[in-house]
Amino acid sequence: MSLNLLLVEDDATLVAMLGQELRDMGHRVTVATDGRVALDAVVRDRFDAMILDIMLPQVDGLSVLQRLRQDAIGLPVLVLSALGRPVEKIEGLDAGADDYVVKPVTAAEINARLNAILRGRRQTVQEGDSLRAGDIVVSPARFRAWRGGKPVELSKIEFALLTELVRNADSIVTRAMLLEKVWGYDFEPATNLVEVHIRRVRSKLMADGGEDPIVTIRGVGYRLPA
Amino acid sequence: MKGLRSLRALTAAFLLAFIAATALTGLLVYRATHDAVRELVDRRIATVASEVGALAARTDRAGVSRALEAMMRDRDTGDLGLLLTDANSRVLTGNIRLNRPLPEGFTTVDKGLGVKGLSGGRALVRPVGDGLILTVVAETEPFDDYSDARRRIYLFGFGSIILIVVAGVATFGTIIGRRIVAMRRTVEAIIDGDMQSRVPVDGSDSAFDQQARAFNAMLDRIARLMEEVRNVSNDIAHDLRTPLSRLRARLAKTVGMAGEEGSELEAALGDCDQLLAMFTAILRIAEIEGGARRAGFEPVDLATLAGHVVETMAPAAEDNGHRLEAGEQRAASVPGDRRLLAQAVINLVENAIRHTPPGSLIRLSLRPEGAEGVALVVEDDGPGIPPELHGQVLRRFGRLDRSRATGGHGLGLPLVEAITRLHGGTMRLEDAAPGLRVVLRLPLAG
Repeated sequence: MSLNLLLVEDDATLVAMLGQELRDMGHRVTVATDGRVALDAVVRDRFDAMILDIMLPQVDGLSVLQRLRQDAIGLPVLVLSALGRPVEKIEGLDAGADDYVVKPVTAAEINARLNAILRGRRQTVQEGDSLRAGDIVVSPARFRAWRGGKPVELSKIEFALLTELVRNADSIVTRAMLLEKVWGYDFEPATNLVEVHIRRVRSKLMADGGEDPIVTIRGVGYRLPA
Repeated sequence: MKGLRSLRALTAAFLLAFIAATALTGLLVYRATHDAVRELVDRRIATVASEVGALAARTDRAGVSRALEAMMRDRDTGDLGLLLTDANSRVLTGNIRLNRPLPEGFTTVDKGLGVKGLSGGRALVRPVGDGLILTVVAETEPFDDYSDARRRIYLFGFGSIILIVVAGVATFGTIIGRRIVAMRRTVEAIIDGDMQSRVPVDGSDSAFDQQARAFNAMLDRIARLMEEVRNVSNDIAHDLRTPLSRLRARLAKTVGMAGEEGSELEAALGDCDQLLAMFTAILRIAEIEGGARRAGFEPVDLATLAGHVVETMAPAAEDNGHRLEAGEQRAASVPGDRRLLAQAVINLVENAIRHTPPGSLIRLSLRPEGAEGVALVVEDDGPGIPPELHGQVLRRFGRLDRSRATGGHGLGLPLVEAITRLHGGTMRLEDAAPGLRVVLRLPLAG
C-alpha cells in the first residue's frame, strides 16, 4: 500500500535514513523539520498519515497534535519519542495520537504501525463479528478459533496472538506491537516471548496437518496472509 | 553526655536541674529571712533585758516591778511578753504566764508555751540580780501562723514557677519535635525516591520556617541537578541508541546478503542487541527512579498478575527444560504500575531460568508479609547464591559470572529493585536451601 506521509522530525540523519527506507517501501514522504512547517504542510497537502517527533524546535510535537485535533483534522498520527519520558506517552495519547513508538525505530516498525492504524480506521468491526484470514477464523466474542472449519484449542495468550494476526491479515505485525496488544507490556523481556508463544500457536494450527500459515519476517515480526 | 542526645532526655535533664536550683534557692531564701528575723528579735529582747538588768542594779524589787508595768503599757514595748519571777518561780509581775519553765538564755518558742496570742517567737530568760529572773518573749511572726503561711507562699510561688517552666519546656519540646518529625518525614520520602516531597512551611517567618524554607530550597536545587544529570544521561543513552540501532539495521540488511561472513555478522547483530538492551535498561531504571510513573498508579491485583506471568513465562521455561509453577497464592491488591510489576516478576523468572540447570523448578508465589504487606516470591531449587555475594548481584553491572557465559547485562536485579522501591517496597535475597529465593515485599497501601 503506497501512502502519502508527512515525516516531522528535526534529526537530519534520522530523516535521511527513515525517509529513504519509507520511500523504498513505496511511500511518498514529505519532510518537515519543525512544528510550524508541519502545520502549514497539513493544510496544503492531503496526507494519509503523519509521523511526528515530540521534541521539535519552535512548535513542539504535542502542540502540533493539539492544534490538529482542535481544528478537527483527523489525520492519523504516529508519535515518535525518546525513551525514558513516560509522561510524554500519556500526554501524546491524550492529545490524540493514534499510536506511539519509542526511538530508535525502524522503517519496518513505522510501516507496520501505520498499516495497523489505517486498517483500524477503515474497519468497523462489530462486537460478535468473526474475523477471517485464509482458512483461519477467530471469534473474539466467543473466544473460539477454527482452521479449515475445525476448532483449534488455544490458551488465552495464544488466542489473543492469533486474533491480532488475523485482525491485521496480510500486514506485518511487529514484536513490539504484539507485546503491547497481547500482553499490555511496554518493555521487551530478554526472553523472546512472542516467538515462544507463536511457536505454540503454529503447532496447534498445524495439529491436523496443513502448512504453517504464519510467515516470519526476520527481525521485524509476523504476517498472516489473508 | 551520650544519654543527653535525645530531645526528651535533654528536656528532662534541664527540668530536673531547674527544679533542683529553684528548690534550693527557695530553701536558702526561706532560711535567710528566717535567720534575719530571729537575729533582729533576739537583739531587741536582749536590749530590753539588759535595760531591766541595769535598772535592777539601782533599785529594789518593787521598783523593778513598777518599771516593768510601765514598759507593758508603753507603746514601744507593749507587744513584748514580760515576766518577773523570784528564784522560786513565784510571779512578781508580768503580762504572760508560762505553762512550763524555760531554760536560761535564748529559746525558740511556739504555741506550746501557752502564751495567749503567741504562735511563734523567741524568749530570753536571764537573772537580773537580787534573785530575780526576767523572761522576755517577742513574736517573730508579724501575724498568727506566719511561718505556715510563708511556707505555703513559697511552695505556691516556686511551684507555679516550676509548673510554668515545665509547661513551657514541654510545649517548646513538642513544637521542635513536630518540626523535626516533619523534616524527617520529608527526608524519608526523598530517600524513598519522592523528590517532590517538601517540609511544610507555615508562613510565620519564624526560625523554624526559615530553616524549612532553606531546606526546601536545597531540595529544589538537588532536584534540579538530578533532573539535569538525568537528562544528560538520558540524552547520552538516547544519542548512543540512535546510531546503534542504525548500525543494527545496516547489519540486519547485510546478514541476508552475506555468504560466508554471515555467522560473524549474526554475532555482531547479537552484540548490537545486547548493547541496545543495556541502554534500554539504563534508561528504564532512570525513568523508574524519576518517580513520574507513580502518578499512574492504580490498584493491581497481584494474584491475577502472577497468574498471567506464569502463563506467559511457563512455555519459555519449558523450552529451556525448566518448570515454572504458581505456588501459594494470596488475594492481594497493591497500588502500582501493572507493567512495571510484570517486568519485575518476569525479570526474576528469567534470572531463575538463566542461572539454574535444566530440570530445575521455579515457583512464583504470593504470601502475606506482616499485617500491611504482601510478598511476591520467586524461588528456584538451583545452586543459589552464597549470602556473602547477595550484595554484589544487586549492584549495577554486578554479575557473579564475569565470563558472560550465562548472558544478561547485570542490570536485571537493579531494575527489579528500582521497581520495588518505586512501589514503596523492599527486595531481599534469601537462601531457599537449595536455591535462591527473591522476595519483593510490597505495602498493601501506598
